[in-house]
Amino acid sequence: MNEASLIGLFVATVSFGALLYLAALGELLTEKAGVLNLGVEGMMAIGAVTAFIAGVEFENPWAALVVAMISGAALASVHGFFTVALGAEQVVSGLSLTILGVGLAAYLGKDYVGLPPGAKLEPVQWGGLSDLPWVGPIFFSQAPLVYLALVMGVAVSLVLSNTRLGLALRAAGESASSTDSAGHSVLGLRLFAVAAGGALAGASGAYLTLSLTPQWAEGLTAGRGWIAVALVIFGAWRPGRVAWGALLFGGTLALKTRLQTFGVDFSPIILSMLPYLLTLAILLAISVRSRKRPSPAPTGLGLAYRREER
Amino acid sequence: MKHPRLHLREAPLPGGQPLAFAIGLTVALFVGTLLLLGAGHDPVRIYSRMFEASLGGPDAWAVTLNRAVPLGLAGLAVAVAGSMGLWNIGAEGQIMAGAIAASWVARIGGDWPGLVLIVAMLLAALGGGGLLAVGPAIARARLGVNEIITTLMLNEVAIRLAQWLIHGPWKDPGAHNFPLAPMLPDQAHLPTLFSRAHCGLLIAAAVIGISSLAVRYTAWGYELRIAGSSEATARYSGISLSRKILTVLVISGGIAGLAGGVELTGTADRLTESISNGFGFAGIIVAALALMRPSGVAVVALLFGAVQIGGQSIQTLGVSSSVSTILQAFVLFGAIGAGVFSRYRILLDGEAPVVPEEVNQ
Amino acid sequence: MTQTPSPADESQLAVQLSEVWKTFPGVVANAGVELNVRPRTIHALLGENGAGKSTLMNILAGVYRPDRGELKLHGRAHQFRNPADALSAGIGMVHQEFRLIPSFSVAENVVLGSAPSVIKTRQIEAEVAAMADKFGLRVDPAQPLWQLSMGERQKVEILKVLWRDAQVLILDEPTTVLTPDEVDELGEILRRMADDGRCIIFISHKLHEVSGICDEATVLRQGKTVASSLDMATTDSTELARLMVGASPTTSDRPAAATPGVPLLELKELSARGDRGIDAFSDVSFQINSGEIVGIAGVAGNGQRELADVIAGLRPATRGSLIMNDADMTTASPRQRFLSGLGYIPEDRLGVGLAPRLSITDNAILRVYRQQRRGPFIVAEKALSYCKGIIERFGVRSGDIDGPIAALSGGNLQRLLVGRELDSQPSVVVAAQPTRGLDVQGVKAIQDLLLERRNAGAAVLMISEDLDELLTLTDRLLVMEGGIIRGEFDPRTASRQEVGLAMLADATAVSRP
Repeated sequence: MNEASLIGLFVATVSFGALLYLAALGELLTEKAGVLNLGVEGMMAIGAVTAFIAGVEFENPWAALVVAMISGAALASVHGFFTVALGAEQVVSGLSLTILGVGLAAYLGKDYVGLPPGAKLEPVQWGGLSDLPWVGPIFFSQAPLVYLALVMGVAVSLVLSNTRLGLALRAAGESASSTDSAGHSVLGLRLFAVAAGGALAGASGAYLTLSLTPQWAEGLTAGRGWIAVALVIFGAWRPGRVAWGALLFGGTLALKTRLQTFGVDFSPIILSMLPYLLTLAILLAISVRSRKRPSPAPTGLGLAYRREER
Repeated sequence: MKHPRLHLREAPLPGGQPLAFAIGLTVALFVGTLLLLGAGHDPVRIYSRMFEASLGGPDAWAVTLNRAVPLGLAGLAVAVAGSMGLWNIGAEGQIMAGAIAASWVARIGGDWPGLVLIVAMLLAALGGGGLLAVGPAIARARLGVNEIITTLMLNEVAIRLAQWLIHGPWKDPGAHNFPLAPMLPDQAHLPTLFSRAHCGLLIAAAVIGISSLAVRYTAWGYELRIAGSSEATARYSGISLSRKILTVLVISGGIAGLAGGVELTGTADRLTESISNGFGFAGIIVAALALMRPSGVAVVALLFGAVQIGGQSIQTLGVSSSVSTILQAFVLFGAIGAGVFSRYRILLDGEAPVVPEEVNQ
Repeated sequence: MTQTPSPADESQLAVQLSEVWKTFPGVVANAGVELNVRPRTIHALLGENGAGKSTLMNILAGVYRPDRGELKLHGRAHQFRNPADALSAGIGMVHQEFRLIPSFSVAENVVLGSAPSVIKTRQIEAEVAAMADKFGLRVDPAQPLWQLSMGERQKVEILKVLWRDAQVLILDEPTTVLTPDEVDELGEILRRMADDGRCIIFISHKLHEVSGICDEATVLRQGKTVASSLDMATTDSTELARLMVGASPTTSDRPAAATPGVPLLELKELSARGDRGIDAFSDVSFQINSGEIVGIAGVAGNGQRELADVIAGLRPATRGSLIMNDADMTTASPRQRFLSGLGYIPEDRLGVGLAPRLSITDNAILRVYRQQRRGPFIVAEKALSYCKGIIERFGVRSGDIDGPIAALSGGNLQRLLVGRELDSQPSVVVAAQPTRGLDVQGVKAIQDLLLERRNAGAAVLMISEDLDELLTLTDRLLVMEGGIIRGEFDPRTASRQEVGLAMLADATAVSRP
């Protein structure tokens, strides 16, 4: 174990953390408005493949990012239509979305497997800051999407707590009927939240193919979409806590491939179970401790709203 | 501009869910046709090959039935829990846990006679899946923790457990350093019924049959359905909700585990990381389309299996596997949408569902 | 028969609803209703529960859309597609079930729907505090809503509506959750708002509170307007009670007088909490003897539903005791009570008494399925013959008995439920609203069944909103209002008006502790 490998570990922690955080933020927004979207894997896959394809075709990484976000939002809107407009069961629709997204991604990407990337988002250099020991490589030499994730985290947090839109979104997730009576369109708010969640998941996927692992192959997302879903619960639906959780889980992902360099003979596979086991443990602990206190979950999460149902 | 709204029908459309599935299928085929045309294929040729490969003859039926078996068992697992309003999203992991448990038995019982070994393996599979569900079951029954997320998390844990075993302690020393579990003993394979169809079919049919009977005809199943219909009614009639939740979730996990064991001894010849292959998630959808009724699971699983096998078959015609996945997704969404419309009607501004002439007493 | 002052000029009316029809699956809530409200007035909308008042106001507030009818504000016709339309037309409603978000602060709740794009918390809180002061509503804008009492939450609801600059305020049964002092306070606040140029529609069934506060009244009964824009100052409250509750019925035969025996059901100072955290009923004490029917009269929502649930064991009692057949059943489970001889006909038929998604047979055997087992199985023949027996003996008209229970009409549903409960010949029967919504034959059938049980020596508790029924059938009649037993009457000698007034919490009633 030496300094370089430790620094490398932290760099990877931040990188993976940002990957998870982007997707988790999207799901947080969606769930805050009351909609459960289990299709995160599918949206990430679509984002990843469309970013890669756009990169190859247009050779502009930023355009590729935009394409990925739009694609993610579009896919998510399918779920939005069925669950919000029609009021169908959210669990089933979300899972179907995963199947659709992963399948669609494989279909779109089949001619691009193994190709070299057409565009990449290289790590940003912040001049002198990037040369600082430790802090330099870890915080000031990351890919642009890491900073985007940070910015988005702050933005989502501010929007939710200090704007009219944020108030309305939160209200839609707590009590759709109260929000409706107050004059907001629950339909519009929820559709927006679902689409925004899709856009962020798409961005997360784009991060994969534009920076982290610049190539396309089926199954690239590898279960990280589910971590994002867990992260939201782990962080009790708060952007700040979710960020810490993302770093924690990002760390376990980073540690996975680096254990040998630390001379630790612990299986990386077992380590990769950690995020999921951790979430379980935290959930149980929260439940035991606060049986009387209200759950932090948005009260109306998962429930369809129809105005005239008595 | 006329503003639409959804209005609950007085009674669901006759034909209800099967009609919904049929409509979903039709819509999917229509959209799929466009997709295929866009990709330069001949839809007629594609669809006829799909049909031929899945339902076109005894060999086709065999493969389809083999595929329907894990789908049906997974669907049954979800449906049993769903009859009580509980979501078992962990079937994927429970299948894996079942396969792991069965493999473990195969490792220690390599020289046991065939029947004994297989039965032991299947029982272990049942136990493995049930064991994985115990945690979420207790959490839900005692602490009210939503089972969706707890079962979801354990999926990933179980899959990684299998990965670890295959790459680590159970790695086949004779596989030239490839991460493979050793082959199962020769006698650890389910006998075949006809063509390639294995006995898993009988097992699945039996389990589905028993479950349907249990849910429909036993006192236990009766209590389950009451609790699923209305918690207040259940309390009113003296049913212990927490005990019911516990038993139902563990049984659900066990059935999913059994699916893993059957798949291992029927189709596979060794434990692999992909043995669960999405069956767990597909099972949720199968159960939802069967309206959480065990009796409907068999038919839906068969249709689903045919769609999947058909989808695989057209790869030789140059159509990628992802197309079949996409087609499946279309069918699902079509069925979801049609299901809503069988219960709700669209009304426009100013329309009344019924013209009132007299006041009710 | 209505008294409708024809408006000389329609545009004089702040609100005018005419010929409004609204139906829901299985029920006609509004059948050609009319309402005229003049500006700067506080207008009472009176009627028993189920008369259609809330539905009508929900239409005015844009929550429901009417099947037919006209809505005019100051002479201009409007059609609201959703609450937002109504709000922008200046109509604000305070619902009976508050539309507030417990985890938000008071200020957040007030500004929801009309907040500025960027919310500067401190500034908003100051503005909300200022408006609250203007109208005499004392609230702390920064406080999380879940900490507030019901009365305080109501103030937040009113603030919400004022914040939107509503010119028409609708209040749905606002005094249900208020103490007498808070009611007076509310009256002053509303008067201030009316003087400020608004008009207020006050839905209620509590006459004495309404007569102190309101200028005019419209009365609804069974979905129709029976009196329009009566002047509260000159209309006598007895007349209002008569309009709300209906004309006296033709006398029907009284059953033979009972010869009551030993007490089978005894309540001693029984109290319990409702769903909202406040006491649903308190210090209820009475006993019912073998062979008698005791009725509890009162407008729904005064604790009767909770009382029935507590006696059945579905809700815990917070104080007091319950004795059934000489055994203390205060903390017994529902099943134990059933086994010791209790039959319960709950008010919520499809939600508690019957399992909505199961078949008729499944529902019929709910109480006895444990006896119909052979091994783990429920013997189908036994279940079927039991079900058929119930159907025959209790006159349930059903199609396929394996069909879903929801396919039965209301009357047949109730016959099945009552039959199932009475079939085990319980010695104590609690019947909550047993004939509500039934047609004439259905009502007679259920009443006969209850009388039969009483004659066989059971102690029957009958909770009903139908005063005629209670006066005809019961041997003793209690009146419950605000969670307290207000009085006991002899149904043979008491007059409708007398009991009706006690039921509607007239001024002669004792004030709430």
